[in-house]
Amino acid sequence: MLEIEGVDAFYGDLQALWGISLHVDEGELVALIGPNGAGKTTTLHVISGLLPPSSGNVRFRGRDLTRERPDKIVAMGISQVPEGGRVFTGMTVLENLELGAFIPGARRHKEESLKRVFSIFPRLAERKNQRAGTLSGGERQMLAIARALMSKPTLLLLDEPSFGLAPLLVEQIFAMITEINAQGVTVLLVEQNVRAALELSHRAYVVENGRIVGEGSGTGLLSFESVRRAYLG
Amino acid sequence: MLVPLAQNVVSGILVGALYGLAAVGLSLTFGVTKFLNVAHGELLMFGGYASFWAFTLLGVDPFLTLPTTLVFLGLMGVLLYKLLFSRMVKATEDVKVKNTMLIGFGLSLILQNVALRLWTANDRAITTSYSGMALTVFGVRLPVVRLANLVIALVCLVALHLFLQRTCTGKAIRATVEDWAAATLAGIDIDKVYLESFVLGAMLAGVAGALVGVGYSIVPTMGLEWTLIALIVMVLGGLGNIMGTFVGGIILGVTQSVTSYFAGGAYREVVGLLIFLLVLVFRPQGLFGTKQG
Amino acid sequence: MSKKAVALVALLVTLGLLAAFPLLVAAKSIVNLGCLVLLYIALASSWNILGGYTGQTNLGHAAFFGLGTLATRLLWLSGRPLWLSLLGGGSLAVVFALLIGIPAFRLRGAYFAIGTLALAQILYVTVGNVFPMLSALPSQVLANYQLLPRYYLFLGVAALTVTASYLLANSRLGLGMMAVREEEDAAESLGVSALKHKLVALSASAFLAGLAGGAFAYYHVGYYPQLPFSPVWTFDAVMMAYVGGTGTIVGPIVGGAFYVIVKEYLALKLVELHLIVFGILFILVVLFLPGGFVEAWAHLRKALARRAAQRQASLDSGERRAGPYQPGP
Repeated sequence: MLEIEGVDAFYGDLQALWGISLHVDEGELVALIGPNGAGKTTTLHVISGLLPPSSGNVRFRGRDLTRERPDKIVAMGISQVPEGGRVFTGMTVLENLELGAFIPGARRHKEESLKRVFSIFPRLAERKNQRAGTLSGGERQMLAIARALMSKPTLLLLDEPSFGLAPLLVEQIFAMITEINAQGVTVLLVEQNVRAALELSHRAYVVENGRIVGEGSGTGLLSFESVRRAYLG
Repeated sequence: MLVPLAQNVVSGILVGALYGLAAVGLSLTFGVTKFLNVAHGELLMFGGYASFWAFTLLGVDPFLTLPTTLVFLGLMGVLLYKLLFSRMVKATEDVKVKNTMLIGFGLSLILQNVALRLWTANDRAITTSYSGMALTVFGVRLPVVRLANLVIALVCLVALHLFLQRTCTGKAIRATVEDWAAATLAGIDIDKVYLESFVLGAMLAGVAGALVGVGYSIVPTMGLEWTLIALIVMVLGGLGNIMGTFVGGIILGVTQSVTSYFAGGAYREVVGLLIFLLVLVFRPQGLFGTKQG
Repeated sequence: MSKKAVALVALLVTLGLLAAFPLLVAAKSIVNLGCLVLLYIALASSWNILGGYTGQTNLGHAAFFGLGTLATRLLWLSGRPLWLSLLGGGSLAVVFALLIGIPAFRLRGAYFAIGTLALAQILYVTVGNVFPMLSALPSQVLANYQLLPRYYLFLGVAALTVTASYLLANSRLGLGMMAVREEEDAAESLGVSALKHKLVALSASAFLAGLAGGAFAYYHVGYYPQLPFSPVWTFDAVMMAYVGGTGTIVGPIVGGAFYVIVKEYLALKLVELHLIVFGILFILVVLFLPGGFVEAWAHLRKALARRAAQRQASLDSGERRAGPYQPGP
């Protein structure tokens, strides 16, 4: 479904990605794991169109989306929950969700999507007229994921959804992600929490220093020093 | 002594409402796009002339032609945005602000001189059959036309507020102001939001200009004065704060009037500029704005 | 000859020509035009020191120019010698600059620009109120009025301004100023005091603009004291510097000369058209060619040089091909 080939990406003169190649098949839950600053978030930025790569390409369902505008990429069916969620704090929960359904394809199905999202995240339904700025960290993360789902994506990108959340909440969020995947949304997940990532995902890529250094699943990845270190604490 | 002073205060409020309206347009555009269009005063001037010529050539009441002035300025806004300002969208904030200021500056010269060539340097005023009418309350004279201006300015601002709060486009604009990256990831077309904000700003300037034309007078060289006013009030009111900006306009209007009452009309402009400088240097978030990064 | 020597010779030759110019030309109107060109060059060059080299867009330049005219006119018409009056003009401008400089430099970028504009407007309005009467030359001064010394004064001020720009730009101070322009925060972290460099540039800019004002006060027979404070002078200087090329020595000179020529040519036809033309040029420069004419000229030379090199290359390979016939496989 998603194919990335030979992507190099720069922040100004600083190279962040070197020849990244990976693929995600329909229905999979794939994780990108690796140490801080490895380039995992950068990879998601490239897919979403926030950072055009200097070489290589990104193909989604056969279509080339390298260097497309981010809002066009959303319209093609890829939605990203950025690091920290980044909800619109000055707007209500409901308004945030409505904005998630901004693209015309999603706007038509807004009511339906709201129902679906409220069933996955009942806490949001309770708070739907509250300003997003008054929500707790966990609730904001849920809102961010819910907002991304409102655009009816076929591929959901998640950037560190568990970051800064209490362990109980982390469990809940991961349960929700699994459910979303089970409902048919393909997921590409960036996670620092290696244990959770390996448990959740069908497959994972190990990213280090802007390069993919390994691919595999579960315990098969323990041969990587960084993975083992993170796994064993 | 009380009545002349009260008269001044009232005059200040009436003109201050238009100051506020002019500033809100610039504040909206700048707040969303960070384009500092210093030709805002010239857009206002063109709004005034659009209204003036509709009245002079077609005999249509200036309050009735407000919608057409809106459309005309809207089209001007689209043209100017696409031709000139849209190229600055991708720049960093510092560069954006500075370069659009320079572009606006060149644009103001062009627009001012085009207007001079077309319509001469004479003052024009839209004088309707009711232009001379006034209410007198406690000895204070309230020209009907200027009262109408106040009402219309308020209506425009309420309409703008509702637009930003209730409509899809308005919410997209608010989201973009708060976090443009998150907005684009939600599928919002940032270029379109920029265009919409710019055009809205131009339209508000146009309405303000039309109201100035009917309540006071217009002349091709009025642009700089009104741009400065808009900047002063925008800074006074704080970015993104519609009510605050409107109140800032009233404050400026009243301060100018009262100053001219005590120190003579020659220094009205000076006091506004002094306040502006003080606020810029010591309280850049304005009197009502919140401290933002 | 070294580059510096070439530049020096070019400068001396140009000065010589400019000095000889009014003696060779009969028409007073052309000498007046020359005065105007030199004045604009001085204004644009002095603005360029702060605006071009140091990157601080000062929209209040007219204030320095105006203060120069004010002090010089007052001193000169009250009997002081000319040199003292001119010095007074420049000094008043510098004093004002230093007074407002420290608070003003708390503002950056466009906010600094708008702030300086507001400041200059305050002066403009105030001077208009305090000195509303036309400033006319008294009859004996008028009787002794000669154009030639005025021309040479303008020439001197313009030459001084350009030379000062050149020396400053090529000095250590100049390097610091350009560092402040490019990356102020990075420069600070390297020990370059941004405030100090900005103040130096501001002072130089103000002093030279003040001198230009002094020359203006010596030259003009009658004018309203408010006139030189008008923002139009600032806008003209800024446009000339940008269209010619900010941050270069030649830029403001080319911009100034071009501006006056276009203005004169278009004034023959349609009065304010030159401003529209310059407005358009200015926008084009900001959008597409930030280095102005100087940059355009550099591009042109590079393109021509490339063309010449290509031609040379094809000639060379052609010669080889046209060499003596070599039999065999």
